[in-house]
Amino acid sequence: MQNTKGLSLEIRLSAYLDGEVTDAEHRELEELVARDEEARRLFEQLQAGNAFGNKAFEDFLHDPVPLSLVRRIKQGTPTNPKAERVTTADPIRHRTRLWPRTLAASVVLLLVGGSTGYILGMVNSQSEQNQQVAAARSWLDDIAEYHRVYSRQETHLVEVPASQGDAAIINWLASSVGVNFNRPDLAAQGLTFEGGRLLVAAGKPVAQLMYRNAEGDVFAICFLKSESKGEQGKLAESMRDDLAMVSWQKSGASYVVIGPSADAKLRDLAETVATEI
Amino acid sequence: MRQATESNEFRRDLVSLLPKLRRFAMTLTRNAADADDLVQEACERAITRSHLWNGEGRLESWIYAMTRNLWIDEIRKRKVRTGGGTVDVADQDELTIEPSGEKAVYASQLQKMILSMPEGLASVFVLVNVEGHSYRETATILNIPIGTVMSRLSTARIRLAAMISETTERRA
Repeated sequence: MQNTKGLSLEIRLSAYLDGEVTDAEHRELEELVARDEEARRLFEQLQAGNAFGNKAFEDFLHDPVPLSLVRRIKQGTPTNPKAERVTTADPIRHRTRLWPRTLAASVVLLLVGGSTGYILGMVNSQSEQNQQVAAARSWLDDIAEYHRVYSRQETHLVEVPASQGDAAIINWLASSVGVNFNRPDLAAQGLTFEGGRLLVAAGKPVAQLMYRNAEGDVFAICFLKSESKGEQGKLAESMRDDLAMVSWQKSGASYVVIGPSADAKLRDLAETVATEI
Repeated sequence: MRQATESNEFRRDLVSLLPKLRRFAMTLTRNAADADDLVQEACERAITRSHLWNGEGRLESWIYAMTRNLWIDEIRKRKVRTGGGTVDVADQDELTIEPSGEKAVYASQLQKMILSMPEGLASVFVLVNVEGHSYRETATILNIPIGTVMSRLSTARIRLAAMISETTERRA
C-alpha cells in the first residue's frame, strides 16, 4: 500500500481506484469523493479512462502474431527440427539387397563383357538413390500437403459430413484403415466436428477427422496403421511452414493432429485427442 | 531428455504469451514493425536464458523486463531520445518517436490514437490496469520508481478519458 498524502488529487484518486492506498487513506478519499463534486468528477474521469483504455488495449490481442516468429520460437535455433519429427511411420523401405545383383552382374560381365556390366551397375545405383529419396519423405509430409488443400475448401471440406453420424464415419474409416477408434469430442476446446475423409499417405490408407473453430481455422486428426516401434504415446512436435503437427504412436497405429502453426495450444489439443481417440 | 522437455514447455509458454508480449512491445515502440522486431529479439534472448527462469512469479514479468531493457538499449543506439532521459515523459509535450502510419499496418485508428500518448504512459496502463500487475511489480518490470508508476498511471487515465470525446467527435 502506498502513502499518497502530499501528491496531487488525481494521483491519489488513481491509486484509490487501484486499491493501492492504506485503509486510512481509502476512507479519507471515499468520503472526499462522496462530498466533493470536483473530486467526484475527477474520479469519474479516471474511471472512464480506465474503461476506454481496457477496451482499446483488449483489441491489441486480436492482431495477428507473425507466423515466422511462432515458428522460430517453437523450433528454436539450437534444435534440429528433423530430430523432433516422427519418422517411425515412414513408408516401409524396400531395401534392395545389392550383392546378388552384383554377383549376377559379375557373371554377366564375364559373359558379355565389361561395358554391359558397367551399364547395369549404373542402373542399380540410380534405383537405390531413387528409393532413398522416396523413403526420406514421411507420411506427415503428405498429410501436410493434403491439409493445405482441404482446409481451404469452404463447401467441400469433408468427404463424409458429420451429419451422417459418428457410427457411419467410424465404421467406414475403421474398416478402411484397420484401426479402431473413438471420435474425439473437442467441443470443450472450441472445435466443431465437420466430418471425415479417407486419404492415402506413404502408400497407406489414412483416416482424417476434420474440425473447425469459431474463427474458421481447420484442425485435423489423421491416423494410419503402423508397426509398433519407438516410444509409445510420446508426443513429437514438428512444423511444415504455416502448419504445426503433433504426432505419436500407440497400439499399432500412428496419429497426428495438424493445425495452424499460430495456434499455441495444439499440443494440449493433441494430448486430449490422444486420450479420447 | 528432461532438458529438451523443459525447453519445449518453455517455448510453448512463450508462444502462448506472444499476443500479450506483442501488445506490451507496442506500448514501448509505438509502431508494429519495431514491436515485432523487439518481440523476436526478446523471445530469442528468453530462450537462450530460459535456464535462468526459476519458475517463480509470472513468466511474463520476467520477459517484459527483458523486453523493456532491450528497448532501452535500442533507443540508446538510435539516440532519438530527447531530454537526456532526465525529464519524466509524462511532462514532455512532444513525442520522441512518431508512430508511423505506414509502419503501423496492424494498428487501427483507435490503437494509433492510444499509442500516440507520450512514451511510458501506455506501458504502465497496460501492466497495472489491463494485466493486473501491482504498482511494485510494474515498477520492477519498467525499472522506475513507484511514484513514477503512480503519476504515469493517473496521467494515462486522464488522457484516455479525453480520447472518449475525441473519438465521439470524429465519428460525428
